[in-house]
Amino acid sequence: MRDSIKVRRNAAPWWGLLLALSAMGCNAGFFLGVPFQGAIPWLSLLLAAVALIFLVLGVWRAYAVPQVYGGKALTAVLTVIALMPAGLSLVGFATTRKLPSASAAPQVGQTVPDFTLPDTSGKPVSLDQLLTPTSPASRAPRAVLLIFYRGYW
Amino acid sequence: MRPVAISVDSPEISRNLAIKSGFTFPILSDPGAVVIRRYHILHPAGAPDEHDIARPAEFLVDSSKTVRWANFTEDIRVRARADDLLHAARQLR
Repeated sequence: MRDSIKVRRNAAPWWGLLLALSAMGCNAGFFLGVPFQGAIPWLSLLLAAVALIFLVLGVWRAYAVPQVYGGKALTAVLTVIALMPAGLSLVGFATTRKLPSASAAPQVGQTVPDFTLPDTSGKPVSLDQLLTPTSPASRAPRAVLLIFYRGYW
Repeated sequence: MRPVAISVDSPEISRNLAIKSGFTFPILSDPGAVVIRRYHILHPAGAPDEHDIARPAEFLVDSSKTVRWANFTEDIRVRARADDLLHAARQLR
């Protein structure tokens, strides 16, 4: 009777690994400048979550029903390898979205506060100066784009 | 339209960034995050070494200092798209 049970292939850990790598790989979209970049973090989260489901399924198959699937060692190795990209994707999702709200910041239609700050040569530059022509011959800019960024490191 | 970048980095660090990246627009330094606080976009202990920095934010400001377009990302990986900004800039008269 025992010999009649056919050992099945356990593809779940392979799917888990593939999905975990995809979860990390889809971040390449930021560098490639693809549209709908706001969806990439969610896609990465979804892929990592599905990867974890497949990894759990793979481990369950190999260890709970080894008479059907077998391949304990290979499953363990694949799962450990896949947990790294899957875990990084989940941690990445949590940390890159840990931003304070900007609800108190100037919104469309509101006036921005004045400022004077040093440029790269240490020379003070004010918002008023930025809104005036750089030389008598040139026209004043129609607008100034203020880009606040996290810093260069 | 004149782009201006602002961060808590010192003028020296910003100069290195400008040289390395070939930026010719002004890069301003707010080491004490005074202006960043005034704009209510401080990210306390947001840097890897836990000092206070600005959260990413972009404001398109017209000659009357009125915000015509703004972008506050929810995720530091997701930044404003040039297309959206240029579309807003073309609306200005």
